[in-house]
Amino acid sequence: MDHVPLFKREGYNVNEKNKVSPYKKKDNIAGYLLLCPWIVGFLIMWLIPMLISIYYSFTDFNLLNTPSVIGIENYKRVFTQDKSFWKALQVTFTYVALLVPLRLAFALFIAMLLNRKHKGLGIYRTLYYVPSIIGGSIAVSIVWKQIFGNKGVVMSLLAAIGIEQKVSFLGNPNTALGVLVIMGVWQFGSSMLIFLAALKQIPNSLYESAMVDGAKAAQTFIKITLPMLSPTIFFNLILQIINGFRVFTESYVITGGGPLDSTLSYVLYLYRRAFNYFDMGYSCALAWVLVLIIAIFTVILFKTQNNWVHYESGGDN
Amino acid sequence: MKKLTKRFIVGLLACAMILSITACGSTGNSTEDKSAAKEESAAKVEEVTAETTTSEETAPTSDEPVTIKITWWGGQARHDYTQQLLDLYTESHPNVSFEAVPAGWDGYFDKLSTQAASGSMPDIMQMDYLYISTYAKNGVVADLNEFAKDGTIDTSEIDETILNTGMIDGKLAGMVLSTSALAIGYNPEVFEKAGLAEPDGSWNWSEFIDTNRKISEVTGKESIIVSSGATGDIIPLRYWLSQHGESLFNEDGTALGYTDDQLVVAFLSMWKDMVDENIYPDPDEEAQILTLGHEGSPVVTGDAATVLDWNNYASRVSSVNDKIKITTPPVSDENGESGLWNKPGMFFSVAETSKVKKECAEFINWFVNSEEANTIIMGERGTPVSASVREAMIQSGNMTDQQVAMFEYADRVNEIAKKTPAPDPEGISEINETIKNIGSSVFYEQATPEEAASTFRKEVSAILARNK
Amino acid sequence: MSKRKKINSILFHAGACILGFFMIYPLLWLLASSFKSNDTMFLNAYSLIPQMWDVATNYKSGFQGVGGVSFMTFLGNTVFVTLIGMFGCVFISLLAAYAFTRIKFRGSDFLFGCVMMTMMIPPQVMVVPQYIILKRLNLIDTRTALIIPWFFGGAFFIFLLVQFFRGIPMELDEAAKIDGCGRIAILFKILVPVVKPAIVTASIFAFYWIWQDFFQPLIFMSSTEKFTISLALNMYLDPNSYNNYGGLFAMSVISLIPVLLFFVIFQRYLVDGIAMDGIKG
Repeated sequence: MDHVPLFKREGYNVNEKNKVSPYKKKDNIAGYLLLCPWIVGFLIMWLIPMLISIYYSFTDFNLLNTPSVIGIENYKRVFTQDKSFWKALQVTFTYVALLVPLRLAFALFIAMLLNRKHKGLGIYRTLYYVPSIIGGSIAVSIVWKQIFGNKGVVMSLLAAIGIEQKVSFLGNPNTALGVLVIMGVWQFGSSMLIFLAALKQIPNSLYESAMVDGAKAAQTFIKITLPMLSPTIFFNLILQIINGFRVFTESYVITGGGPLDSTLSYVLYLYRRAFNYFDMGYSCALAWVLVLIIAIFTVILFKTQNNWVHYESGGDN
Repeated sequence: MKKLTKRFIVGLLACAMILSITACGSTGNSTEDKSAAKEESAAKVEEVTAETTTSEETAPTSDEPVTIKITWWGGQARHDYTQQLLDLYTESHPNVSFEAVPAGWDGYFDKLSTQAASGSMPDIMQMDYLYISTYAKNGVVADLNEFAKDGTIDTSEIDETILNTGMIDGKLAGMVLSTSALAIGYNPEVFEKAGLAEPDGSWNWSEFIDTNRKISEVTGKESIIVSSGATGDIIPLRYWLSQHGESLFNEDGTALGYTDDQLVVAFLSMWKDMVDENIYPDPDEEAQILTLGHEGSPVVTGDAATVLDWNNYASRVSSVNDKIKITTPPVSDENGESGLWNKPGMFFSVAETSKVKKECAEFINWFVNSEEANTIIMGERGTPVSASVREAMIQSGNMTDQQVAMFEYADRVNEIAKKTPAPDPEGISEINETIKNIGSSVFYEQATPEEAASTFRKEVSAILARNK
Repeated sequence: MSKRKKINSILFHAGACILGFFMIYPLLWLLASSFKSNDTMFLNAYSLIPQMWDVATNYKSGFQGVGGVSFMTFLGNTVFVTLIGMFGCVFISLLAAYAFTRIKFRGSDFLFGCVMMTMMIPPQVMVVPQYIILKRLNLIDTRTALIIPWFFGGAFFIFLLVQFFRGIPMELDEAAKIDGCGRIAILFKILVPVVKPAIVTASIFAFYWIWQDFFQPLIFMSSTEKFTISLALNMYLDPNSYNNYGGLFAMSVISLIPVLLFFVIFQRYLVDGIAMDGIKG
């Protein structure tokens, strides 16, 4: 198999001619020394549990029995017999496709606005971060039901401007997922923070020299800000896609997957399979199918990054 | 090439690791268990210090110190008084101490299942009707029958059909603690406003709907509420089938019990018509109402007249509105049958892995049968199953009117109930999800009642077949 | 010019305030509800101003805690677990990210793939195997079980720091190397100051995530006296019985305060991060 690096690294000790081993022994040791604490945790909390869950996915494990191996039955069932799997997949794809661009655009926009020395900006940053820290709590779920319910704030506002409707957005299968997307966008605070941190890292001198050259705001944004931010945009994009596919809390706490399965996210479905329907083996199979789907997206994105992500440290111009 | 072999070796190692772990990790009764037992007994030895326990096979005699690990779900009030109960029990049984694990409802069964998967369940666990079959059929809960037979648990005051709800495949998988029965909660003030007499419970469905139609005309709002939704779970349908002489599942829970889909069609059509007439809220509004909690329910606030709920309804909302009363749900139009049954509220089950089953049984007996315990519980877990306890508590005069009504209602249901349905089959949570979906599809007019009924049959049959 | 600037500034603040209100509406609601009496809570749930102020009752009942354990114990547990978890998480992730970006070693791509993988698998199916392992290690129902999942770093943090390290030109390292700096010195003396905003961001996230961590702790923990706040709050709720919502909301408010404080204190460093003027060009 060909060894394709996830990302190119160019630093010292690159020895292109020495094809037998491009690595230095000293570097190998240093690399693993630095990584060893993480590897310990990885083994205990991730690698071994992952292997166990792969094993479960080939069994009829129901949490209470002694699992017995049933071959690829679970995987066959996923693709041939399970209507809810396709429904959940569709819901999740829709959610990701709507949420990720909206949230990122919004987060970047606000981060740009807040990235200056201005009085009171700290307060705004805090205010905008608040939704991200009260996330999926029971209180938030009640509030959201209140806001989008038929007596809620949104309804009153709509009524005030003459659009009177007798629906609750969360109770309607056509709009419920939309409400969850809005809620997701509303929690743009974490992405905003990461953008803010990245904006701080852009040297002012770049902007100053651009100003000297008489560049307009739009130009500096495209020529300087975007390229310098691209590693962070890339990070946020990957992260939001992964987290979007794994969305659970919102549909679990607020809609419970309903109405009519319109907000049945993939992970909510596999959680139910595992713990409510006592179908852990099957649930593990579902989980690994999801990992595969996410991995495909991630690898594709990593492959495209050479075309648009600009790294100061990796000089592939 | 070298790389390949290396990867192969890594893979092999990984496989070996996973085998070694799963082999002992997930089986209920293998090495894991023994080591757990050893740990436990080691801990016990430490606790006792003075005493040297020699045998671990023989059941401990009654004055040997034991620790019972007990878990339940509930709210703050339940946690507080249950802890009080445990302390009280330890006072009279100094050799028994408890390790209490109170929990919220959310995640309670996730945790219990995980513990079962690694053979480390608590000794006593509060168990729900939804899950008891699954736990029983997988052999992780103990058979309490021997304790019922030898009198450790006194069952003489408990209605047999109720007791048998914990009987699965001939084993007493859980001791039922409380019951609840379907009831109509109503707001007398709303009836008065509409110029109607208070209901006496003799109504059939069409009289019930007529009454509410009149009320809706006066209030301009929906008049019937169903606390968990008419198709939110299988309960209302089960009631409907029962009063038509049919049952939802067959005796052993392997297939549907009714043959005529027309009954389900009639059930769905009836509710759909009520939605169309604005007597019963559509799913949008219902979802909204559910978010208000019991305290903000339209019946409590005087917006609606009647609610299909359980017989503890009036007692539960009494702190917000003490005027609410309960009565029986409508009987069948055709034959005047009621279809009511006493549903087991919750159980205490004992883990198969427990080393102190006898002590657990003694505690459960005290919990269920003693007045001492029940005057502290005060019906918070539902109507007590013991008839003498119910009687004594009504006599004591410490109860509110609503609580008395709730207990008397249970007695009345015991008289008219033909029989309690067999325990819910495995897969019941999935079936609840199914009826929710077919119900919504009818209310949103995505399917006719006929189509929905046949979808229901098809999907439920598949679920039951898979869990056989 | 200055007049336009003023108008712009006013417009900016007005917009920012309106947006801010929508952002914290649920928090205000939570605060208001914590002052409402339990019985009328949902009767006028949409109103932000309680009809009857009942400041003390809910907080008093909340502070009593659950199951005989006072709320202060939960608070103490949470602070303990969060601080240790956060420190380990950020520090170990920092080391890992440094290795991934600055050292060329065998298997680094494979390991980075592993890092990414841990982000993709739904935790819901990992919890049973994790429980089994922690049980073998005799860690179930210990505070260690609360810390372990975080202490050894996390994919999110490693990936975040990797991206930030990669934004720093290699010349910086090389210059330091020429000056005789070792690897560790390069990391802490040269790189860390530059990625300070990222480290602060990572710490803010770690703090909050560990603080509100729920599902795994729920499964791993049994003894109420070792519970964190998020576990304790869950114990207030049972959909089928009468709930102390007032106490729940009051304690939710209290539990948010440290998270907010932590953010308010450290977000300053996002602004004052050392700009890299003079490094480039």
